[in-house]
Amino acid sequence: MAAAATNGNHNGQRWHDAYPELGTGPVSIEPYISQEFFDLERERVFRRTWLNVGRVEQVPDSGDFIVKDIAVCRASVIIVRDRDGKIRALHNVCSHRANKVVWESQGSCGAFKCRFHAWSYRLDGKLSSVPDESNFFNLDKEQLGLTPVAVDTWEGFIFINLSPQPAQTLAEYLGEWGEQLRGYPFAENGAVCYEWRTELRCNWKLIKDAFKEAYHVAFLHKRSLRDAYTGGRNPFSHALDFKLYPVHHRWSLGGNPDYQFKPVESVANRFGSFIIISDAKDRPQPAGINPTRAPNWVLDINGIFPNYILDVAESGYFTYHVWPLAVDRSIWEVRAYFPRPINAGQRFAQEFNRIIFRDTIMEDGSTLEQTQTVLASGAKTHFVFQDEELLLRHDNKVLLDFVNRA
Amino acid sequence: MSAHRLPESFGDLEQFAACWALPTENERHSQRLTSTMAELRGFYDAILPRIDAILAYLNDFPLDRLPAEAQALLHLSLSLAEVAPAVELFGQPEVPDGYDSRRIMVVEH
Repeated sequence: MAAAATNGNHNGQRWHDAYPELGTGPVSIEPYISQEFFDLERERVFRRTWLNVGRVEQVPDSGDFIVKDIAVCRASVIIVRDRDGKIRALHNVCSHRANKVVWESQGSCGAFKCRFHAWSYRLDGKLSSVPDESNFFNLDKEQLGLTPVAVDTWEGFIFINLSPQPAQTLAEYLGEWGEQLRGYPFAENGAVCYEWRTELRCNWKLIKDAFKEAYHVAFLHKRSLRDAYTGGRNPFSHALDFKLYPVHHRWSLGGNPDYQFKPVESVANRFGSFIIISDAKDRPQPAGINPTRAPNWVLDINGIFPNYILDVAESGYFTYHVWPLAVDRSIWEVRAYFPRPINAGQRFAQEFNRIIFRDTIMEDGSTLEQTQTVLASGAKTHFVFQDEELLLRHDNKVLLDFVNRA
Repeated sequence: MSAHRLPESFGDLEQFAACWALPTENERHSQRLTSTMAELRGFYDAILPRIDAILAYLNDFPLDRLPAEAQALLHLSLSLAEVAPAVELFGQPEVPDGYDSRRIMVVEH
């Protein structure tokens, strides 16, 4: 844990030393600009991996549903809690003439009824009624339910898999990474959720890359987070820890213990802190939270392949979803989760932290479209990654492994 | 004839209530973006010395059952959180060279 406090080198070693299979060479830009590669990502990554679509709190009661349009897979999926309380995922496509059944993005209902000819489906997807049914030819209603999508939950997070037969269960897919985080109070610390969404003219990977290294903090965030995350002993925000799992990864980030709070920050901090420096670190935590047990720990950045990032702090967490629309267009969804505030002071502290967070990610967002506009110029064919950009290198390797797997 | 919006003990902040006692992030953020730095600093300088008293006053109420005047005072205090980065970090209403926050949709939960 002293490593980051000195110079970030891990006992004089580099983080990459532990993962020789990743190499240290330049990494091709092609996957960020190639239509051909994008088509392979669609078929071999997004149609085959478990994708996070939200949390169980979004569908608390029977009949509650959300609809996720997974444009990269040209799919729309209804996630609903059925009459038995079970969470189900169903393709949002009518069995009659393939109309999109639900047009709302969320809601609550007793059954799904198609607007076109009023075919009606139960919450578990079974076809329940067809107007003028006797005029069809040998209609077998048992075979004509909404097409199910594989769905499962981990610690209250809902994941779907668009493969008709997923190669792995969700538990297998999340593996040891998931086990290390079990027990964190995701429901309690996620009682309040704020969400921002935008569409960017850039490849989806540029967005997730922006949140997987802290090398940029001293520069891109020079007006905002720099002083909280850097300092004389750690001028480049070197990590407390990196840990790579087969497809996912975690990075632990510390703060500057000598950081001087700004005036409003110090007011907010008396009621709880989140992204500047963590509070209440004496609380017992699962092994995957603040893994080095560093006193200056702020948060852990968890990358869940391919498109989900879960940043966990002591008293709340942030998530990023990146949804590809085209090789150079993406949806970016950001959520900030907090415990339910018990008084106005906590409400104020949460507001302060989430607004600083929002403004900071506006700084992150500034480079994304700019980069995309010159990425295909031919001026550069490769990115150059340093030791602390390990997660970008890991993502790239995992991605190529998926894409090259026929 | 204008009705007081804030609790009596915070009458000194009444002049800011119409502009800044706003219930949603969209409204508070939009107010920040359309204000001059002089206006943002004026509000910041007036409310910062009072924020401890404001939160102490509000903490006596259950958060989900605030009387209307206390609710307005809470919204006013949330505007301090909104303007703080502009005043303390950026020296301008918008994030300098930032992604255009007008392109961000706030999704209500």
